Amino acid sequence: MMSSSDDPLSAYNLPNPAPLWLNPAYAKHIVKGNFMTLSARPKTVEQGEWIAHQVVEHYRNLWNFVRVIYEKEENGLTICNPTTCPRMSAGGNHSYTWLNSRFEPIELPAYEYITLMQRWISGKVNDEKIFPTDPSGVSFAHNPQITTNGLLTGPDEWVGKRSGFPKEFLGICQTIFLQMFRVYAHLYWAHFVEPFYHLNLQNHLNSCFSHFVLTATALDLLKPQELEPMQPLIDLWAANGTFPPESKAYEYANLKAGQRLLQLGGMA
Amino acid sequence: MDNSGNRLYLNFGANGDRLQANDRTAYPTTPSTFPQPVFPGAPGQSQTTAGGGQSAPQQQPYTSGYAPQGYFMQAQYAAPQYQTSVQDYGAPAGQNQPAAYGQARSNTPGTSNDPNTGLAHQFSHQNLGGAARGAPYAPRGPSPSQRPRTAGAPAQQSSYSSYLNPPVPTQPAPRLEFQQAPERNPDKYGPNAHNNQKKCSQLAADFFKDSVKRARERNQRQSEMEQKLSETTDPRRRESIWSTGGRKEGSYLRFLRTKDKPENYNTIKIIGKGAFGEVKLVQKRADNKVYAMKSLVKTEMFKKDQLAHVRAERDILAESDSPWVVKLYTTFQDSNFLYMLMEFLPGGDLMTMLIKYEIFSEDITRFYIAEIVLAIEAVHQLGFIHRDIKPDNILLDRGGHVKLTDFGLSTGFHKLHDNNYYQQLLKGKSSRPRGDRNSIAIDQINLTVSNRGVINDWRRSRRLMAYSTVGTPDYIAPEIFTQNGYTFDCDWWSLGTIMFECLIGWPPFCAEDSHDTYRKIVNWRQSLYFPDDIPLGAEAENLIRSLICNTENRLGRGGAHEIKSHSFFRGVEFDSLRRIRAPFEPRLTSAIDTTYFPTDEIDQTDNATLLRAAQQARGTPGGQVPTAQEESPEMSLPFIGYTFKRFDNNFR
Repeated sequence: MMSSSDDPLSAYNLPNPAPLWLNPAYAKHIVKGNFMTLSARPKTVEQGEWIAHQVVEHYRNLWNFVRVIYEKEENGLTICNPTTCPRMSAGGNHSYTWLNSRFEPIELPAYEYITLMQRWISGKVNDEKIFPTDPSGVSFAHNPQITTNGLLTGPDEWVGKRSGFPKEFLGICQTIFLQMFRVYAHLYWAHFVEPFYHLNLQNHLNSCFSHFVLTATALDLLKPQELEPMQPLIDLWAANGTFPPESKAYEYANLKAGQRLLQLGGMA
Repeated sequence: MDNSGNRLYLNFGANGDRLQANDRTAYPTTPSTFPQPVFPGAPGQSQTTAGGGQSAPQQQPYTSGYAPQGYFMQAQYAAPQYQTSVQDYGAPAGQNQPAAYGQARSNTPGTSNDPNTGLAHQFSHQNLGGAARGAPYAPRGPSPSQRPRTAGAPAQQSSYSSYLNPPVPTQPAPRLEFQQAPERNPDKYGPNAHNNQKKCSQLAADFFKDSVKRARERNQRQSEMEQKLSETTDPRRRESIWSTGGRKEGSYLRFLRTKDKPENYNTIKIIGKGAFGEVKLVQKRADNKVYAMKSLVKTEMFKKDQLAHVRAERDILAESDSPWVVKLYTTFQDSNFLYMLMEFLPGGDLMTMLIKYEIFSEDITRFYIAEIVLAIEAVHQLGFIHRDIKPDNILLDRGGHVKLTDFGLSTGFHKLHDNNYYQQLLKGKSSRPRGDRNSIAIDQINLTVSNRGVINDWRRSRRLMAYSTVGTPDYIAPEIFTQNGYTFDCDWWSLGTIMFECLIGWPPFCAEDSHDTYRKIVNWRQSLYFPDDIPLGAEAENLIRSLICNTENRLGRGGAHEIKSHSFFRGVEFDSLRRIRAPFEPRLTSAIDTTYFPTDEIDQTDNATLLRAAQQARGTPGGQVPTAQEESPEMSLPFIGYTFKRFDNNFR
């Protein structure tokens, strides 16, 4: 018998029963194998170019799931609506606010939050000045052993500069990843069972989200503390081999907590 | 697909994906030495009843998702375990800021996982609660009389009360359980949710499949580049190898996130028309590169139930990297058309050659048939049956070598194809005037005595036939339209009929009318006839007869090697075949030379123009009025996942 203070999970203050998605039996995937290769920047590719690519890919992936809860049925109803989700919440411990035009944080139904998020992200991604698409502007990664025009440091150098990305590019991408993370967190905490489990999409969601976390951490687009509402799932995925030991996601995980979840699920 | 030796591989568990063979062991769950069911209640864990006074037997599943006991009873009040729960509420304007102003990443001090901050925040979230799932503290209240939580209003009240009466943590901690999985019930959602479910499922699977393939190819290019780097010490050369490689990869990434559209291409000529669309020779505006662009009319694909076919074609071309298969560079779509951007093969097709030359010598026939054997073998190795091998689908590249195209009817081996279409054709009434029973017989006689007049009629109508919806059935194996099932060897039958045509001058079962052709094919034992007046080598005839026969006896049933070792091919070196000079090499004056395409026989008005005219006539000017529901053409369900982008475009 264990006392709570010994339990590596106790810090999370999880509800009991814990959400279905923390059950190892429902934390499975449609993909197996080490898919770090999908996140790791190819050596010759300039960092900004790679981040831009990842932003677009992950946004497309996320929207595949959001579409399910967000699109209206014939009767005008959506699965995520102000009644089911009056706030943009990720469990009882987290809810996210949006700033209004006077820079005041306001609580919004998740549906409206997602609308604003979608509008904001697609506004950035489709802006040629922020995400250039002209092939003539493409550059390559600096390699001190091979290439001569290396990186400068200081205010005149930024990620993506040599490929034509603007100075604020990295900050925008970090914010996009943070917003996408919040939506994923809401999908897990509020919609994992309704509808994803019922529609048998839980493994798809798991694969896309775990890949998202691997990418976001590998490219430093999300900080460890920002992962918090999903931390126990990250722990679980570190423990069950989804996140390979060489990944940052694994580094950020609490392995003991993950192993405890596996044990509780009868899979340790 | 052999994935051995590669770390990346896929595990699509669901319905019939071809890649699923080696899955099922994603996370080997070795038998636990600590026997615990997924949903506990194991002996020795009597703490399950600690909260809420529930006295139900342990094995009994909870009826609601919320079992009322509370593992975290103490944790909630004991400071060191509590800290994480309140962060965001301690400073709502900090971490919770919206993205729109780029400030969302600021972090409020004291919100990290510092166990010492716990107590300080303990009460700071009291303005919360009330929302569904908004207050996980509520059901953990100590009072046995507390009712189980229902989502919604009562939460706030109860969470206050639980703070006012913190329990004394004397009991052992109740064990954390997982929410019970309800019975799966997809029917509770509407048709749109189900559509979106399908989209989601397919697009997520496609994403990983495509990404893994791209990563694999990228690694390959990377090691090729490293090889090149290691071969030189010249710093300028090395820098150039590196930067060229990086630029190509970067351009490809840009290409991946850019939407292609037909306006990016100039049409030079229409080089083919068919029932479902057309093929144009086009030039990309940005870089003047030349391609063949196939555009398929969406509504036609719908009407004729061709959706599975176009998908099969996209899949096979996207997967293949064979020199025997026409290369597909990208696919895209708009609201009216699906587009396939393919390599342009300036040599035209074998049908045009046969129309021009009527018959080939045995030597020339040997070359083409041997190459077609290799091409069919390549398709089979990809796991596909072509099912529609015919001279129109055999293209010649600039060196005069063969490439297969038009995989519209190809199916993965495991898939059952719907035979109804053929069945109906077979049963259907002939379109010819009554009394045609007699005329069938007469035709047969006429043809078998090789009445040149009839053959020439047939030859003239050939191209028209090729453009029709039905296409010509001349080369299709009988088992495809009888319902006994078919397998890879149906493509070898087609090979036999093409060989017959190369040597004799017409396909063995040709008739004026498709229905008659079907009947002849089914009755091939009676109708296969080698005309006396056309000399034919014994080995050639033997090979044809070994291919045009029932499937049990057909050569190639055990693999392409059976055909390759037939005496007709004595002396043919299959391995180097593609490197020798072809008997016929196209003579071209430019990259956009269409000499070998019958462009003067093809109406040069493109389908987009015709469609616009039709819409104007109907009074819907300017083309589409997008329906409110539709977010983009890519998302209309039947055509989802159609988009594909290959690296080798401008980048290799």
